[in-house]
Amino acid sequence: MSIEIRNISKRFGNFVALDDIKLDIPTGELVALLGPSGCGKTTLLRIIAGMETADEGEILFSGAEATHLHARERNVGFVFQHYALFRHMTVFENVAFGLRVKPRKERPSDAEIRRRVMELLGLVQLDWLADRYPSQLSGGQRQRIALARALAVEPKVLLLDEPFGALDTKVRKELRRWLRRLHDDMHISSVFVTHDQEEALEVADRVVVMNHGRIEQIGSPDEVYSNPASPFVYQFLGNVNVFHERVHGGYAEIERGAADGGATAFVRPHDIEIAHQALEQSLPATVQHVHPIGPVVRIELLHQSEIVEVELSRERHEALQLAAGQSVWFRPRQLKVFGADAAPRSTSEKQGFLF
Amino acid sequence: MKSTRATQEPAWVRYTLLGLGLGFLFFFLGLPLVAVFVEAFAQGWPAYAEALKEPETASAIWLTVVIALAVLPFNIAFGVAAAWAIAKFDFRGKSLLITLIDLPFAVSPVVAGLIFILLFGSQGWFGGWLSANEIKIIFAVPGMILATLFITFPFIARELIPLMQAQGKDEEEAAVSLGATGWQMFRRVTLPNIKWGLLYGVILSNARAMGEFGAVSVVSGHIRGETNTLPLHVEILYNEYNAVGAFAAASILALLALVTLVAKTVVEWRMRKETEMLTADLPAEKTS
Repeated sequence: MSIEIRNISKRFGNFVALDDIKLDIPTGELVALLGPSGCGKTTLLRIIAGMETADEGEILFSGAEATHLHARERNVGFVFQHYALFRHMTVFENVAFGLRVKPRKERPSDAEIRRRVMELLGLVQLDWLADRYPSQLSGGQRQRIALARALAVEPKVLLLDEPFGALDTKVRKELRRWLRRLHDDMHISSVFVTHDQEEALEVADRVVVMNHGRIEQIGSPDEVYSNPASPFVYQFLGNVNVFHERVHGGYAEIERGAADGGATAFVRPHDIEIAHQALEQSLPATVQHVHPIGPVVRIELLHQSEIVEVELSRERHEALQLAAGQSVWFRPRQLKVFGADAAPRSTSEKQGFLF
Repeated sequence: MKSTRATQEPAWVRYTLLGLGLGFLFFFLGLPLVAVFVEAFAQGWPAYAEALKEPETASAIWLTVVIALAVLPFNIAFGVAAAWAIAKFDFRGKSLLITLIDLPFAVSPVVAGLIFILLFGSQGWFGGWLSANEIKIIFAVPGMILATLFITFPFIARELIPLMQAQGKDEEEAAVSLGATGWQMFRRVTLPNIKWGLLYGVILSNARAMGEFGAVSVVSGHIRGETNTLPLHVEILYNEYNAVGAFAAASILALLALVTLVAKTVVEWRMRKETEMLTADLPAEKTS
């Protein structure tokens, strides 16, 4: 089922949670709503689920108006950050709940309920826990049960609110991959909310980056990471070095003649080259710190009282043999410039822009 | 737990504090309780049984039970509804409602009784209409039920509000998203989650309903065998120098108090177990 979100706005008192949101989610897609806390992503998810009403705008399911449909009639599966399992019911009864509350005419027989629940528990690989209570399960197990429970009513849309937010890193990674597989097997549309950029980039078909109740960018994980549409997206997705014009005299000269003076350049730490000799268009700096972090080595350079963060591969670092206090030269392989109006500048302009 | 010497108070401090606490409990709680039963049985078991079989005492016991039972459904309905509204919704006037729920705790019971005299008494606001329609509220059982209701309605709501606030709305929202109707959600999700808290509130409000003196005294009119509850009857018997009768009736109230205490302890224990279940340490994730 496709979801269309048309001009949705929502306020809580004076706080604008959502400001004129437009978004299309085609059938079968797994979409991530990504943003910092308070950006409105959870509110948007709850409006899609019918747990919150929008002040303005419309929601369409498969092209049909659903704005005023009650949450119970929307046929969406909702997964909560803190699981929201029914604490006084066994795992089996939790999953069976959606089937047991159906009107008598549609309600499957007990044997059929039993079959479907065990099938779902098998799908989440937890059929051996059917008789336990939620309090006897680990966080990862609880979230998988919550998913099975949501899937029991055969929803057309699966909505997940920070589903892995309360879990530790290892379990989170495992569940991410598992969710992706599950989504592909079930042929449904899924929307999940997260503040974890790695999670969004790894799992989703499409990432919707939100900030202050607005959508900053919609695109594939690769698009939003390598071609961010705004300074916010650049800074939110991964580490970045920001160069302001006024700090770098040389670059201001080149930029002279542009309409405005407040341009900013963004460079990812892994897009910076370091050398012991001056390269073409490179800047001098001093090595401040060298931190080996797992597969990469993070170098902090000091350039004109500003810290520049660089990430090198282990091999490159071994070749360079950098140590604190050394004088080196660095230059960005790739950078992106935004004007004062936060609009991106064309690529031709940015080559040689900095130096 | 073993405490080290550095954190331990000197022995005389510990024993003085302990002695003060236990001494106070003995003189103000233990001794009176013993005295009630000693006085009640002062002339032996037959006199005690005789005193309880006395028609006016029997009717007072009966009326006390009737009032407690009559008040209960109202208290449950109001308590659950108020707690639900306060814990799960935001609305205008919410803090006013919370303050109003505490009103019976703040107002003297005698004043509470007088309010009903002012409203429904023969000189009261609705007195004329009531007597014209031959409805009797003051100096009759309906008035006593109203007064008891006023005194006891905060107990269940007070017990449920923090519980429901702690549990949040997630489970209810999950139920609705799975297709449950409002009633299904309440019966299958909310009610099982609050049942021990509800029972605890019922026990407390019931104990208060049976023991209430002030408010009921004002609206009762003290008609023997008709509008006397146990606490009122105890006073009358005592004023007539019928010590055995008074203490026999009082012993029933004391027994009720003991039963309440035991029930309260059991429910508290169950509730604690339930919270422990919620916050129990999670077992390690089984990695496959």
